[in-house]
Amino acid sequence: MEKARPLWANPLQFVFACISYAVGLGNVWRFPYLCQMYGGGSFLVPYVMMLMVEGMPLLYLELAVGQRMRQGSIGAWRTISPYLGGVGLASVVVSFFLSTYYNIINAWAFWYLFHSFQDPLPWSVCPLNDNHTGYDEECEKASSTQYFWYRKTLNISPSIQDSGHVQWEPALCLILAWLVVYLCILRGTESTGKVVYFTALLPYCVLLIYLVRGLTLHGATNGLAYMFTPKLEQLANPKAWINAATQIFFSLGLGFGSLIAFASYNEPSNDCQKHAIIVSLINSSTSVFASIVTFSIYGFKATFNYESCLNKVILLLTNSFDLEDGFLTASNLEQVKGYLESTFPDKYSEVLPQMKNCSLQSELATAVQGTGLSFIVYTEAIKNMEVSQLWSVLYFFMLLMLGIGSMLGNTAAILTPLTDNKVISSHLPKEAISGLVCLVNCVIGLVFTMEAGNYWFDIFNDYAATLSLLLIVLVETIAVCYVYGLRRFEGDLKAMTGRTLNWYWKAMWAGVSPLLIISLFVFYLSDYILTGTLQYQAWDASQGQLVTKDYPPYALAVIGLLVASSIMCIPLVALGTFIVRCLKRGDTPPVA
Amino acid sequence: MYFFSTIICRISHVLLCNVTQRVSFWFVVTDPSKNHTLPAVEIQSAIRMNRNRINNAFFLNDQTLEFLKIPSTLAPPTDPSVPIWIIIFSVIFCIVIVAVLLLILSGIRQRRRKSKGPSEVDDTEDKCENMITIENGIPCDPLDMKGGHINDAFMTEDERLTPL
Repeated sequence: MEKARPLWANPLQFVFACISYAVGLGNVWRFPYLCQMYGGGSFLVPYVMMLMVEGMPLLYLELAVGQRMRQGSIGAWRTISPYLGGVGLASVVVSFFLSTYYNIINAWAFWYLFHSFQDPLPWSVCPLNDNHTGYDEECEKASSTQYFWYRKTLNISPSIQDSGHVQWEPALCLILAWLVVYLCILRGTESTGKVVYFTALLPYCVLLIYLVRGLTLHGATNGLAYMFTPKLEQLANPKAWINAATQIFFSLGLGFGSLIAFASYNEPSNDCQKHAIIVSLINSSTSVFASIVTFSIYGFKATFNYESCLNKVILLLTNSFDLEDGFLTASNLEQVKGYLESTFPDKYSEVLPQMKNCSLQSELATAVQGTGLSFIVYTEAIKNMEVSQLWSVLYFFMLLMLGIGSMLGNTAAILTPLTDNKVISSHLPKEAISGLVCLVNCVIGLVFTMEAGNYWFDIFNDYAATLSLLLIVLVETIAVCYVYGLRRFEGDLKAMTGRTLNWYWKAMWAGVSPLLIISLFVFYLSDYILTGTLQYQAWDASQGQLVTKDYPPYALAVIGLLVASSIMCIPLVALGTFIVRCLKRGDTPPVA
Repeated sequence: MYFFSTIICRISHVLLCNVTQRVSFWFVVTDPSKNHTLPAVEIQSAIRMNRNRINNAFFLNDQTLEFLKIPSTLAPPTDPSVPIWIIIFSVIFCIVIVAVLLLILSGIRQRRRKSKGPSEVDDTEDKCENMITIENGIPCDPLDMKGGHINDAFMTEDERLTPL
């Protein structure tokens, strides 16, 4: 007697699971950067268009496949065509790479969260140097938040070649992060279904609180005006469109197999079209919402730095020319500077090199993405707010919820095919399989806690998933439309849900989306080939800033291996199945 | 009050000059007995030692009252014996471990209860079948489905289905 497949307790759990998987760190730290780089308000035009044309159809496709086949990615694609089991395997391999390096972000979030319970916040002050006469040299050259990130958290080495040894503090946080993930996936959908209520809803609560706080901060309007002022000439820049398409693609988490895994636990009659539209809309609006919060924080930070800079200039001039206290203000600064230049030209030219040119625009124009945004820029803004411990705790708690929500999806993509496999699930209970997967990932993840770990993290982040996913989703779309047959799939969906497939979806699946993915793929491939050697940003402690270096050959080999190991699954499994079938056909005699 | 080999300096020995509009001035401290000024280095070290008192007299601090050429000695950061983050980490770590163990143990217990459950239900069925052997004068043996779930009437049909 077969055990019934576990189901979500109600459709809301499924929707929340998809939302908590799709709404992740990319919405918070990648979209605001893209918005800033590619024309502010006008970036929303290519973004919404790509959502309609690429995001929604591909999301619906994955959910429909998962719900129809009721198996994890490997089983689902093998059912579509026995030669395409490799697509599922490639998804599992990419998910494995992703879950290995993604959880280190949760470990860093835990680290910052635990350090937020101190007064003053450890990243707001520089530590003293050895004889207590001044601040630490590296901290002086960089800033206190950069120092805390690069030295105290990562203890980063000058280049990827100096691996150093495993740092025990981030390693402990990584182990804790994996234990929390294990706790959430331990019982399968039973435990995951309850956890997603929190991981989906709590980030919105925190974002709302931050929105109210951010908008009331001094200088927030500067940031918002800067972001939303549309620079329409960017619409003509092809990079804007390519980045919009890429962002939609990766933000929804297509191709990893997580969506197929989640949908496989659905009731067959579930209306996944409605859910696909809801999830993609919520994902995109969260991106816009998070960028409003981010830009009001940017505006506050930029205004604060600008005013500090002005105050330093005022103090310098007041001291040099013995002016009355309070005589120089921000409003009459330029006037007085002109007066001083004309009246005391010699002394003015002495002081001039020390005077920094303060510009609000240049402060706002510092565009940052990724871990730098969360752990350097945001912490700098938070340390200047009142009750900074509270805001810091809230912020890193939100990052944790977002990160763990995405990890649930990643691990589901790996575990569902494993638990579907009859051989493995008959020998080991569900808890043991999850435990083994978490243990293996944790041990490999310790690489990222070494001194050069952040460089390896960047390698995985940039190369492990990008090209492979594009190819995987392309093969998926072609498989469903042309190998399985679009009419047959349409009939299946109608029998399952009782709804006819809209012509729009058919047009997108069969034509537009594959063409879009092919063009993205060609663009990225040519980009990699044209750039020649790949480079990375290394932290130089003596200068207190990032410098560009070339990857050593073995790092390039690892990059090649990462991309190849997932892509090669598709043709290798197809070839293997073909050979096995040929052998079988050769063995059995023809039936009369 | 500054003591240097029993010299006591009072406020009348402090002379001001170059007073400007923004509360800043140069000052020298003269030796009370001979009419010469005390060396700057000694004054500087004296001010360093008493910086707090001088600041408090004006209700100022190191940022608002600056002595040129006297860098303020920075207060070392207070380092608790056990870093705070380790305390919070250990608390959360223990909670998570306890929760994981609880879930695993309850899962094992559930599975044991399930594997005991069907065998208990089987026993009662057997007892019923042993009691009622004849119904309506017809012995129930041919209809006895004790133990197996294979219905002979349908067995041949399975073989007729072509394997995929």
